[in-house]
Amino acid sequence: MTKYVIRRVVQAIPVLFGITIVVYAILLAAPGGPTARFANNPRVTLEDKEQFKKAWGLDQPIPVQYCRWIGACNPDVSGTVLGIFPPPAAFLGPTGWPNVLPSGISGATNGVLHGDFGVSVDSGEPVAARIARAALPTLILASTAFVIWITLAIVIGVYAAVRRYSLFDQFATVFAYVGFAMPTFWLGIMLIYIFSGPGLNILPAGGITTTRLSPPFGSDAYWVYFGQQPLTAIADIAKHLILPVITLVAVSVAGDSRFVRASMLEALNQDYVRTAKAKGLPGRTVTFKHAFRNALLPVVTNIGLEIPFLFTGAIATETIFSWPGIGKLTIDATREFDYPTLMGVLLITATITVMANLIADIAYAVVDPRIKY
Amino acid sequence: MSLPAQGQVEASELESRIDDSGADYEVNLESLSQWQLAWRKFKTHRLALIGLGILLVLFAVAIIGPILMPFVFNEIPKPDVKVYAGRPPSLQHWFGETGGLQRDVFMLVVNGARTSLLIGFSSMFIGVFIGTIVGSIAGYLGGFADNVLMRIVDVMLSLPLLFVILVASRFFGNGNVALIIIIFGLLSWMGISRLTRSLFLSIREREFIEAAKAVGVRDRRIIFRHILPNAVSPIVVSASLIIAGNIIGEAFVSFLGYGVNPIYPTWGNILSSALTFIPVGNWWWPFFPGLAIILTVLAVNFIGDGMRDALDPRSRA
Repeated sequence: MTKYVIRRVVQAIPVLFGITIVVYAILLAAPGGPTARFANNPRVTLEDKEQFKKAWGLDQPIPVQYCRWIGACNPDVSGTVLGIFPPPAAFLGPTGWPNVLPSGISGATNGVLHGDFGVSVDSGEPVAARIARAALPTLILASTAFVIWITLAIVIGVYAAVRRYSLFDQFATVFAYVGFAMPTFWLGIMLIYIFSGPGLNILPAGGITTTRLSPPFGSDAYWVYFGQQPLTAIADIAKHLILPVITLVAVSVAGDSRFVRASMLEALNQDYVRTAKAKGLPGRTVTFKHAFRNALLPVVTNIGLEIPFLFTGAIATETIFSWPGIGKLTIDATREFDYPTLMGVLLITATITVMANLIADIAYAVVDPRIKY
Repeated sequence: MSLPAQGQVEASELESRIDDSGADYEVNLESLSQWQLAWRKFKTHRLALIGLGILLVLFAVAIIGPILMPFVFNEIPKPDVKVYAGRPPSLQHWFGETGGLQRDVFMLVVNGARTSLLIGFSSMFIGVFIGTIVGSIAGYLGGFADNVLMRIVDVMLSLPLLFVILVASRFFGNGNVALIIIIFGLLSWMGISRLTRSLFLSIREREFIEAAKAVGVRDRRIIFRHILPNAVSPIVVSASLIIAGNIIGEAFVSFLGYGVNPIYPTWGNILSSALTFIPVGNWWWPFFPGLAIILTVLAVNFIGDGMRDALDPRSRA
């Protein structure tokens, strides 16, 4: 088992490395580069652009830029080999140890490997700080949606499988087909019309807090307010959560309830279930102790594989409901050609995806003793 | 597997058999190709037929509609009554009017059908083309090539697709339909290549491939003539999922304003400012384009289901 886990972790390393290259390549290939955001600004001259490039290290050859961004090169060592590659001295950090090593040893603080994603060209803040600030709202939204989504998918799927071809099952099938075909952002718009449009107007149309009642979410003043009136603050967030959560859950439950149903049906058809029934065990025991526990095995893997959807699905949901999370940060960064932020977001979400796949694989090996590794 | 195909018996041989026995019996000479058999099975799938019907109607609308009611970007409608929120559906405007400019939503949806379907289907072809080639090479050659290609697929699949599509459309798309098609195509081959590879891995071990190799058939011919035709069914089915995914994806990116230029209406970009008019009570503007997307995706998924049943050799009637 330990060997299997180690092997899977080692296999993930080249993938993560490949991701950094792809992320870098995508943004490198983009026309205009980071100065594209000044394209329509008549007050930015060509000299200003050159100076901007120099100040941000964008005048360096690409391998040097990449090496510094990833954190393997010391940005204080200038010069190149053959005009392309970083000089050997650049690989050593301020203390003389290789720059790649943790900051404690090498003294280096630059680069993704040391948790430095650069500085946003839009707001001038460190990218890591921007992402950290956006992470909390996304986590609130994603974890709430996740719990409800898994619970609903399992309840609907199992019930539909046990009562196969019943009215409930047929209704669940129709719901799954339609839900699967529904664009998330469209569902969000329609929900806003129904619940916060001129008719009902009972739920907020967007945001995470009611702005006229509290300081902006995430600011220091907000946490002071939160400490004073925690219940009001939580209730306010909860009210803002309802519509985005419904949007995220409806689309995901559609596909997953089908998956649970199929898995449960397969389990119910197994010989050991028939044996258990023949032994005279009560139907409830057979369904939940024998069939359900086995039906959960593939579901566990599937859930692991779908965790990344919480972040990508959140792009649409967060945009519609102006939820100040990772998704909205991505959209803002895309609009502003904010390269460092985009690279940070892409890299972090891709890493989460790889981790989720890894955990799903390992979890499957743990819950299913038949798996040989 | 099923019975040997009836068509494989030579006609002359049949005649000689009849002559030998002298008996006067009827020979059913009906021989069906793989696709004819599949169609026969497909026809029994009610939902798939409905899906096919819907899709054909949508195609007709996409081809004829824009000719009957063309969309002209510079032409601003002059409604007899000015209503900021736009007017709700009526006999004159079936899907109502947009807010602000008061364009006819039905006209927009009809014109959007052309671009949206074009993007969904063309990008699928690009994706399937690349995916099949990459998967075939990886699955057939195995070894180092397989390892490298599949690690690339791993990397591509780890990137959140919607993020990449969004960024790529914003940076490279330029609002150009052809470029958007290429972007979606280049980002939708990974699943197909994994599938093709796994199919190749199992098919290449079969006896008829060994026989072909023994006779000295070249690799390229084995890949395209011997293995690929046997791998077509699952690829076709998952291609239908790509169409659905890309239509929704394009709608989202265009809705955000980074996809197709509003000069060419798509189901996504015609609702890019619809959200602003929700507070004044305009529901029909976002509703109908979304309905068109749902209908299309439902139809494509139904057809995919029907094809899965029809092309599965184990379920051949």
